[in-house]
Amino acid sequence: MNASLLAAQLLNGLAYGMLLFMIAAGLSIIYGFMNIVNLAHGTFFMLAAYAAYSLAGMKVNFWLAIPVAIVLIMIFSIAVEKLLLSFVYGKEHEQVLLTFGLLIIFADMVKWIWGASPRSLPIPPSLDFSITMGILDFPVYRLFVIAVGILVAVALWYFENRTRIGAIIRAGVDDRQMVSALGIHVGIVFTGVFAFGAGLAALSGILGGAILGVYPGMDTETLILSLVVIVIGGLGTWKGAFSGALLVGLLETMGQIWFPSLSMVLIFLCMTVILLVKPTGLFGKKVST
Amino acid sequence: MSLLTVEGLNKSYKSLQVLKDVSLEVGESERLVIIGPNGAGKTTLFNCLTGVVPIDSGMVTLGGYEIGKLPVHKRVSLGMSRTFQKNNLMDSLTLEENVRLAVAAGKSYRYQVLKPLTSYREVREETEDLLERWNLSDKRSLIVGQMSYGEQRLLEVVLAMASRPRILLLDEPTSGMSPAETAQMAKMIQNLPRSMSLLVIEHDMDVVFSIADRIVVLHHGEVLLSGTPDEVRNDERVRGIYFGGGAKQYAEA
Amino acid sequence: MKKSLLLFLVLFAVVLCFPLVAGKFALHLMMEILIMAIFVMSLGLIMGYAGMVSLGHAAFFGVGAYFVALLGHHIGNLFLVLALGTAIAGLLAWISGGLFIRSAGGYFLMITLSFGQMLYAVAYKLKNVTGGDEGMPVQAAPDLGWKLATMTELYYVIGIGFLAWFLFLILFSNSPAGKAVKGVMVNESRMRALGYNSIAYKLIAYTLAGGMAGFAGVLYAYFNQYVSPDLLNWLFSGQAMIMVIIGGVGTLIGPAIGAGFFVLLQNYISSYTERWPIIMGLIFIAIVMYGKGGIVHLVLQLTSKLRFKLWDGSAVNRAEQRRTSP
Repeated sequence: MNASLLAAQLLNGLAYGMLLFMIAAGLSIIYGFMNIVNLAHGTFFMLAAYAAYSLAGMKVNFWLAIPVAIVLIMIFSIAVEKLLLSFVYGKEHEQVLLTFGLLIIFADMVKWIWGASPRSLPIPPSLDFSITMGILDFPVYRLFVIAVGILVAVALWYFENRTRIGAIIRAGVDDRQMVSALGIHVGIVFTGVFAFGAGLAALSGILGGAILGVYPGMDTETLILSLVVIVIGGLGTWKGAFSGALLVGLLETMGQIWFPSLSMVLIFLCMTVILLVKPTGLFGKKVST
Repeated sequence: MSLLTVEGLNKSYKSLQVLKDVSLEVGESERLVIIGPNGAGKTTLFNCLTGVVPIDSGMVTLGGYEIGKLPVHKRVSLGMSRTFQKNNLMDSLTLEENVRLAVAAGKSYRYQVLKPLTSYREVREETEDLLERWNLSDKRSLIVGQMSYGEQRLLEVVLAMASRPRILLLDEPTSGMSPAETAQMAKMIQNLPRSMSLLVIEHDMDVVFSIADRIVVLHHGEVLLSGTPDEVRNDERVRGIYFGGGAKQYAEA
Repeated sequence: MKKSLLLFLVLFAVVLCFPLVAGKFALHLMMEILIMAIFVMSLGLIMGYAGMVSLGHAAFFGVGAYFVALLGHHIGNLFLVLALGTAIAGLLAWISGGLFIRSAGGYFLMITLSFGQMLYAVAYKLKNVTGGDEGMPVQAAPDLGWKLATMTELYYVIGIGFLAWFLFLILFSNSPAGKAVKGVMVNESRMRALGYNSIAYKLIAYTLAGGMAGFAGVLYAYFNQYVSPDLLNWLFSGQAMIMVIIGGVGTLIGPAIGAGFFVLLQNYISSYTERWPIIMGLIFIAIVMYGKGGIVHLVLQLTSKLRFKLWDGSAVNRAEQRRTSP
């Protein structure tokens, strides 16, 4: 175990953690603010990656593909929200069922359209090199992902301090009619928040495509991991998703080195213990009752 | 001889203190009515006494036995039963099924998994008995959720009676009722067995005075006054904050 | 209850006579349906009867299946294996339920999910013991004192198992405990105020359901002669959930109908196209959005409408009431 390998894995862990952070943050916003259980969240992640894959195949520039794919997924999420979820606000059972149905449909859909073999997104040439410091090599793409993650964290921190929007959303969850009577268009706020959460998942999927690959099954894998992240880290604040994601990301990647057969079990054990001992997670606060 | 004692009960939600140093006593066969303006903490008091919410400090004893740390269902087995201010029934089941569940609650065979509930004669007889006594026999197959509001309100009390409690806590039994229904309910409460103590929250002063042995006035979570109906009626402070302009007619009643 | 017992007799007759009219392929399919029916009925018990949604229920099924794969040929006798497998799954449900049931709704969903995934991870990673992601073959042969030689014999074991559990559910739903469990689902706070220990009742339902799922898992191992970690995965739980909903949540026969529908559809559609998950997903979403309670309720509504036309309006009332009791 030399230093360079260790450093590489550490970087991988951090980058992976950032990817988890982005998708978990989206899930946290949707569940924490809107109380919507969205089992199709991993689906947004996956569809974005596949969309980016197709765009890359059409020789679309990486920097253009990112926003295009994100917008596509956000439009898709709006459709989901308007056509399905808006009918079952407050009904957790039904949300679980509906989003599960979506998950099943699109898990197969991607196999249909793109085939079952795994693909990967190419790293854009502009980022495809390493910075060398002494004996350590740092792939720039990983650094880029980490940088984006930090940017997102800052943006969420700022968003959280814009308490007016947060308060509106919270109020809307409690009493939709009252809030709209105050002249605030609750429907648009909800749809906007949902699309924003989906957008974060999409961003993560596109950036992750070059690191993790694009394959059927990535939707459920990431969904489960993001659930673990927000349970461990806590809902209602960006700190929760951030800390939980880094923890899980590092545990996953470093765990591969030292205890490969246990890391998966350990992660779920952690999640179970936290749910029993401190269900709101490490940093969680109750956003809506 | 005191059946239910509450000493120094405190309850806060976050920074809002809902109940402050509340003490009261209900004796055997006694009927105590709690009155007070909205927001005085009356239903919270009930929730604390029955165990629905935990208390911050203070003591609650039933028949000399401290019940403050017991879960809701254990307190019922010790003889405390309650109704709810907003109808809280098994809406999708029939009236008969509701009563039967109430009757079966304390039975030794309530965890049995094979023999039908209706095969137990005890359960059948007690259910029939309750239905007859309250004139509900011909309504037994109605789905509770489809019954009229007044009928549901009555069922609230019937269910609470099934366990043959030593003390019955009634949370605004006449809430939402028409004058005729209110008078009916008041009469029914008066005719409840005297051996059972009553602790009642009520807003309608006619009802209060028709059933109360003693009255406790709760204001902003504190006990303002505890005494006989006459004492309460004539108290200046009570008149000021609660009776308002209608004080005169009550003083002369 | 009389209606349910009548239904039981009908099912009894169907299960008994099926091998007489069915070919090998149909018999094999029926066996799969009956096994899944037991599993789905167990999920229906906690979902539609105790009101708890769990995405970790497959773990109990998987435990039963792996029990056979790991220890089945050491133990030998099928009855014993069934009893032990059921007991172990039930015990696991008892312990985990005891810890988890106190968690409120959304948390219960996630904690059962994480627990199930933990067990999945164990089966997945312990390659030396469980064969890892490739699974392992089942060496044990069903032995009832004599080694079961034909498919038909195994079919009857499965069929009797299904009927036994169905009968148990009928009895349970009419028993004091069963009635209380239903009451707790309908209005927990009221039941507590009446003196019922609601948590204890949820735990009873959860334990029974866990044991029942384990039973189904044991049968599955003998039937399929191969087990894999997917049997413990939350997606398998989700599939069972779909079957409960399609059949009709909160009814006795619903889960079994849902299982039958799902397996048949899966088999039928997949012979034409590989895309049956999409079709299944669409049907499922349609039922959730518009189905108002699955096939059973649809049938009840249709037949009550028919009776309304033929006789009088009170029939509709009776049909409505039937909806509230299993």
